[in-house]
Amino acid sequence: MNLVIALAIGVLFGSGIWLVLRPRTFQVIIGLLLMSYAVNLFIFIMGRLKVDRPPLTLGDGLPDPTALTDPLPQALVLTAIVIGFATTALYLVMMIGSRGVTGTDHVDGRESEE
Amino acid sequence: MTLLSLILIPFVGSVLAAFLPLRGREAWLAGGVALYGLIATIYLYLGAGNGGVERYEAEWLPQLGLDFVLRMDGLAWLFAVLVQGIGVLVVLYARYYMSPKDPVPRFFSFLLAFMGSMLGVVLSGNLIQLVVFWELTSLTSFLLIGYWHHRIDARRGARMALTVTAAGGLCLLAGVLILGSIVGSYDLEAVLAAGDRVRAHHAYLPALILIALGALTKSAQFPFHFWLPHAMAAPTPVSAYLHSATMVKAGVFLLIRLWPVLSGTPEWHWIIGGAGVITLLIGSFNAIFQADIKGLLAYSTISHLGIITALLGIGTPLAVVAAIFHVLNHATFKASLFMAAGIVDHETGSRDMRVLRGLYRVLPITGTLAIVASAAMAGVPLLNGFISKEMFFAETLGVGGPDEWWMSTAAIAMGMFSVAYALRFIGIFVGRLSEELPKQPQEPPRWMRFPVEVLVLLCLVVGIIPGRSVGPFLSDAVVSVLGEATPAYNLAVWHGFNMPLLMSMVALLGGIVLYSWLQLRFELRNRSGVPVRFELNGGHIYDSIMLRMSTGAGALMRHIGTQRLQPQLLLIIVMMMALPVALVRPLPGLDTMRLTDVDLSLAALWLIGGGCAIGAAWQAKYHRLAALILVGGTGIITSMTFLWLSAPDLALTQLMVETVTTVLILLGLRWLPPRIALEDMQARVPRRVRLRRGRDLIVALVGGAAMAAISFVVLSGTPSERIGDFFVLHALSEGGGSNVVNVLLVDFRGFDTFGEITVLSIVALTVYALLRRFRPAPESIEIPAQRSNGIDPAVKQTPTEQAEHGYLMVPGVYVRFLLPFIVLVAVYFFMRGHNLPGGGFVAGLIFAVAFIVQYMVAGTAWVESHLRLRPHKWMAWGLVTAALTGIGAWLFGHPFLTSHTAHLRLPLLGDVHLPSAFFFDLGVFLVVVGATMLILVALAHQSIRSHRQLPGDGRLAPERDIR
Amino acid sequence: MLGWLDHLILVPVLLPLLAGAVLIPINETRHRLKFAINAMSVLGLLVTALLLVQLVDGGHWSEDIGVYLAANWLAPFGIVLLVDRLAAMMLLLAAVIATATLLYSMVRWSRIGVHFHSLFQFLLMGVNGAFLTHDLFNLFVFFEVMLAASYGLLLHGYNVNRIRAGLQYIAVNLVASLVFLIGVALIYAATGTLNMSDLAARVAALGAEDLALLKIGMAVLVIAFLVKGAMWPLGFWLPTAYASASPPVAAMLVLMTKVGVYVIMRVWLLVFSDGGGEATGFGSEFLLWGGLATVAFGAVGMLASQEQGRLAGYAAIVSSGTLLAVVGYGQASLITAGLFYLLSSTLAVAAFMLLIELVDRVRSPAAAMLAVTMEAFEFEENPAQPVGKGIPAALAFLGLSFAASTLIIAGLPPLSGFVAKFGLFHALLHPQAGDAVAAPAWAFMALVLVSGLIAIIAMMRFGVRTFWASGAVAPPRLQFMEAAPVTLLLFLCVALTVQAGPIFGFLERTSADLHQRAQYVDRVLSSPAVSMGAGEAGR
Repeated sequence: MNLVIALAIGVLFGSGIWLVLRPRTFQVIIGLLLMSYAVNLFIFIMGRLKVDRPPLTLGDGLPDPTALTDPLPQALVLTAIVIGFATTALYLVMMIGSRGVTGTDHVDGRESEE
Repeated sequence: MTLLSLILIPFVGSVLAAFLPLRGREAWLAGGVALYGLIATIYLYLGAGNGGVERYEAEWLPQLGLDFVLRMDGLAWLFAVLVQGIGVLVVLYARYYMSPKDPVPRFFSFLLAFMGSMLGVVLSGNLIQLVVFWELTSLTSFLLIGYWHHRIDARRGARMALTVTAAGGLCLLAGVLILGSIVGSYDLEAVLAAGDRVRAHHAYLPALILIALGALTKSAQFPFHFWLPHAMAAPTPVSAYLHSATMVKAGVFLLIRLWPVLSGTPEWHWIIGGAGVITLLIGSFNAIFQADIKGLLAYSTISHLGIITALLGIGTPLAVVAAIFHVLNHATFKASLFMAAGIVDHETGSRDMRVLRGLYRVLPITGTLAIVASAAMAGVPLLNGFISKEMFFAETLGVGGPDEWWMSTAAIAMGMFSVAYALRFIGIFVGRLSEELPKQPQEPPRWMRFPVEVLVLLCLVVGIIPGRSVGPFLSDAVVSVLGEATPAYNLAVWHGFNMPLLMSMVALLGGIVLYSWLQLRFELRNRSGVPVRFELNGGHIYDSIMLRMSTGAGALMRHIGTQRLQPQLLLIIVMMMALPVALVRPLPGLDTMRLTDVDLSLAALWLIGGGCAIGAAWQAKYHRLAALILVGGTGIITSMTFLWLSAPDLALTQLMVETVTTVLILLGLRWLPPRIALEDMQARVPRRVRLRRGRDLIVALVGGAAMAAISFVVLSGTPSERIGDFFVLHALSEGGGSNVVNVLLVDFRGFDTFGEITVLSIVALTVYALLRRFRPAPESIEIPAQRSNGIDPAVKQTPTEQAEHGYLMVPGVYVRFLLPFIVLVAVYFFMRGHNLPGGGFVAGLIFAVAFIVQYMVAGTAWVESHLRLRPHKWMAWGLVTAALTGIGAWLFGHPFLTSHTAHLRLPLLGDVHLPSAFFFDLGVFLVVVGATMLILVALAHQSIRSHRQLPGDGRLAPERDIR
Repeated sequence: MLGWLDHLILVPVLLPLLAGAVLIPINETRHRLKFAINAMSVLGLLVTALLLVQLVDGGHWSEDIGVYLAANWLAPFGIVLLVDRLAAMMLLLAAVIATATLLYSMVRWSRIGVHFHSLFQFLLMGVNGAFLTHDLFNLFVFFEVMLAASYGLLLHGYNVNRIRAGLQYIAVNLVASLVFLIGVALIYAATGTLNMSDLAARVAALGAEDLALLKIGMAVLVIAFLVKGAMWPLGFWLPTAYASASPPVAAMLVLMTKVGVYVIMRVWLLVFSDGGGEATGFGSEFLLWGGLATVAFGAVGMLASQEQGRLAGYAAIVSSGTLLAVVGYGQASLITAGLFYLLSSTLAVAAFMLLIELVDRVRSPAAAMLAVTMEAFEFEENPAQPVGKGIPAALAFLGLSFAASTLIIAGLPPLSGFVAKFGLFHALLHPQAGDAVAAPAWAFMALVLVSGLIAIIAMMRFGVRTFWASGAVAPPRLQFMEAAPVTLLLFLCVALTVQAGPIFGFLERTSADLHQRAQYVDRVLSSPAVSMGAGEAGR
């Protein structure tokens, strides 16, 4: 399980990097999406990986922390997701705005001379 | 107190002169200030004379051992008198010299400021403070030199002067700091007392070099002499003041001041002495060949400063006496000469010695004065110049033992040169008056000539009865520098026949011979510039250095900087990977990975997920839609993984965010330029591009691998004791909710959520603001080809018509029917949030989706004609609710956001626990709905708007703005 | 029980939030009302900051550190806000700059575009939050608040350059934010905590594996900070952003750059100062040399820049480079001087940012010509008409302010820039008792001196072009509200110079605090929550 998740994160992050380094805004935005998935997963695995042990303390009596996953990373990821969502939206609008004004979809707002 | 006033009053006067409407009476103000200073200084002689010291201290920066200290001893007193005495005369002179067309207030304002700074240099009792005033003189002189700033030469001269002297000032600062760190104090007296310690210290040489750089640049010594001639672009009163008596004297003043500390070592001897000798030769030689009177005077100033520097370099006590004495003499005759030159310029309208002839006929008095002064400059007996020059000759004899003659030879050569240029200057008065003068000259007004008369008189007095005129003051100054080391000397015109006298005679006669020879050989009177080719033109070197610096910097920036995005992102990513590798030792090792613990179904899941990701990376350039779909796939897989690994909240949120994001990007796609892959273009990708792609690919692979590795390390490591457990234990008991994650969001770490919803609102506002002014690119305005082919019946209908009775009628009705149910679901998720997966955020997104669907099917126009959303209000209320919920805790005397639970008994529902977190979550809900809707609606509006794009008007707002 | 004074710690975050929220629904046509609300809030922040400075320096809290447990959960579990001398000082600085920029924006900038005021408030909320929070992830959140607002403001007054710059600025910062998250995650994995003081408490006791993880996390995290703080080679976005932003926004950006430096200063001195066991002094070499490289880069940039906006940008880069080097060097007395430098340079560069627009009104086409190429053609230029009588007041004001900010930025006497520079040198030349002046110290001095000289040359070039060579025919029109803020900022620099003694006293106490890690750990981890009655162990 660990290996799979680790590899998954690696793949997402790698393809994210590749896209972020591309010259077209759309590529960059897709790259940012992929990278943020990777990062969210990364934060998430900082808690312990447990299958089917959601941090819900439903039963009465004192809950046993070791039985459940670490809730803190989950909370962090939630915040991260939301902020990521917002910033992605912003970049999207920038993307079309810049395309409208500059007439190109190059990340620098002008076609590079090379 | 009087001491302080010396410094303060000039600056106050400067401000007044600049801003009071004095109507040309600034001269009186300035004169008054200078005169006051002079009188006050003379009064202070009671304290500072015969070996006494006046001190004024005020605490400024005790932590760094830096106080404001004024200190007047013999030397300072002498210089103070010089500065202010000549100041008075210059002001009087300028009063008549400046033309009414010039902005006179500014002139006197700057002049006074300069006087203040100069006095500051002279009176500072603290080295750092001395540097402060030192730089101030550079700045004010910059303003004065550039006074006629409509003239290009003035601007150049000013910039050159400031650059050179300010650079020197910085060196001086460094040197003084080192000196201070050697001595352990910046106080002048402490430093003066520590001479032996300083000379013994290993940091002595750097300190000496740095301080010397400061002094030599200021006093225009070789190789920094070039700025002074260019500074002649200043009005003549300025030259008379700065370049004879004050500014350039600051350098030698500093050398004299620090003589007891720094001198007496071979380094000092060679650096200072060497510079002095070279300068005095270059200066005097160049002076001969100048056509411009002020040029001649400038170079002669350079050479005389050279004399002083050389004397200090020689280093015997008697040499110091001579140096101080020559400072005085040079100031008097050079100031008068500058003023005389100014009068000539003022009266004839020219300073060109090739034109000026026989002025004696029209300017008899001025002529006489000028001739006497230049005689003093040449060192003719019975004038002050003669005495100090004689002392100089005497000192040169001593250098390097009895059989060393080079110094004396240099001295005699200098003497001959100076006689020659003096003669050339006098040449403008003899002969018959030339016709081609711009103006018809006549004697200047009485008071314009007065300063010259005074100064020339001084030259005579000092020249004839030195002992009884300046004797006592000179000895005070000398004593204040040399202390016990003061030698026995005798200021007298006549010391009997001796070597120095002989040298003077040789110099005089030789000079006359030289002049007449040059006259015959090169008709000197008609030439400007040195006959022998003279490479070392400081001015041009300076210009080219400046130019090279700026252009070179530009070129350098192209290599060490960039304005493009891609290299920056690359750097960030590379740094992120490189820095840990560089800094962290030892790096954590990977432990063995066993394939047995590979969970097959998860692996299968991620085979798809990874595939989607790579596919997206592959397709994003030419097949945007495909890429978008693939990314969506990855998103789904991610959210499934969350669900699998027991994070239901994450899974839900991820899913909803995924949906909304996709819709957003879909709305955006329409505005991007078409990009169709051309097969042949693919064939010949330029080599540079291929290289760049290769590089990026490697970076991506390495980055991915690194992330994978570090994740694996973390996962296989044993988790340390963490704060996470606390939340599990206390969520229900004190958070009042069994969904720990939600309790974390609204209670434990509510403060994060608080910021998070702010971010949402900010982004929504930004998007809205941006899109209000959005201009679509011209080619993407008309309906895209996909939507304009004839077969499709929907083409002729507006979205509204399609939804009302077009082929979208069925889905339209269906979604409308769906609306309340989706809302219901949203409410459900919201209510259960505190105890089970769900919560304000998810609920908000679901709620938003309910409306998005309407927009998508029925079209913007229809939706907005049927229901009015006010996203701004939603957001505002959300934020306020959340904040007020938090503040509410204050009423119970608890910190912000502390949660409370109200227990209500409602008719139908029975007992209800109403935690304050509930309201907080409500705020979150409202913000999420508002923000999401605002973003989506703003985007949706573009498509309506662009169709009725008015030509030329970029900022179309829709009729009904989103409110 | 906590008194109302403790709630004061929260005000710098809460007040702008409420103001911003209230401003959202108000119609854009009601300029006066919006401006009034904004101004009230900024004024409130100013007062709050002053009070906080009083409190932390007046022994109101034990150890002079104010701790606020948000949501009343004990550290390290809840989020902690902490105000000490440093934080209070930065809050004050932020409030001052905000006041100036707001006044400046009244005449024109706040009226074009929408939601300027809300975004302005949110930006302040983000900045203040970043100064106050003592929790790494919460720091991330406030960074995002700050950045999101700055995106909006940077694009304020929509034009092509701003769009281009914004596109770049946003992309860079989004990536930096992801980096930030990775760093925080690693730190949590290694130490199991997010609270800075708790981190400092745990770092000494970490096992080898976790320590390595922590260091990696910190190394990643610092990249994110350095992007904000514009260390070379991570700060190329800065000049472009500064040059294209509208003046008031640019002035606020100057402040934001300092946030990055502030955070590094805070975290590094707390976690890696003496007593950090294995981790002591981690990465300080890197910060030192990186900072010096940044200074050099900034200096070259100043020399090369052809427009004043970029020039100011590079000036800001020089100043943050200096500060990073100071943090890396670590010596307490140097940090004292560094803080003084921070105050002086931030005020001056901000003032310069506001000036640029006004000064451009003077410039004639001749001056607008690229300064560098002018250098070559200087000789052919023909003299203009003799200048008119007196000093026209507007021109005089601009000239004086330009000169003043030049002096401060270049560190020339007699203004605060020189005092700061002298302080730095003095500290470098007087290391702790006994040890000799280190080699980096000489490099540091040389670099600062040279960069100062270059600053003079570069800015004098612009000054001469503008005020002398332009043959300014009609004196430019200045509104009082445009001149006042510049005057205010520069006046404060003068005040810094005159009052250098007492201010240095305060700063000495400040940097003394920063080197007392135990004191922070003790205060934060042992500060009690307000009791909620029986059976609530957590509080």
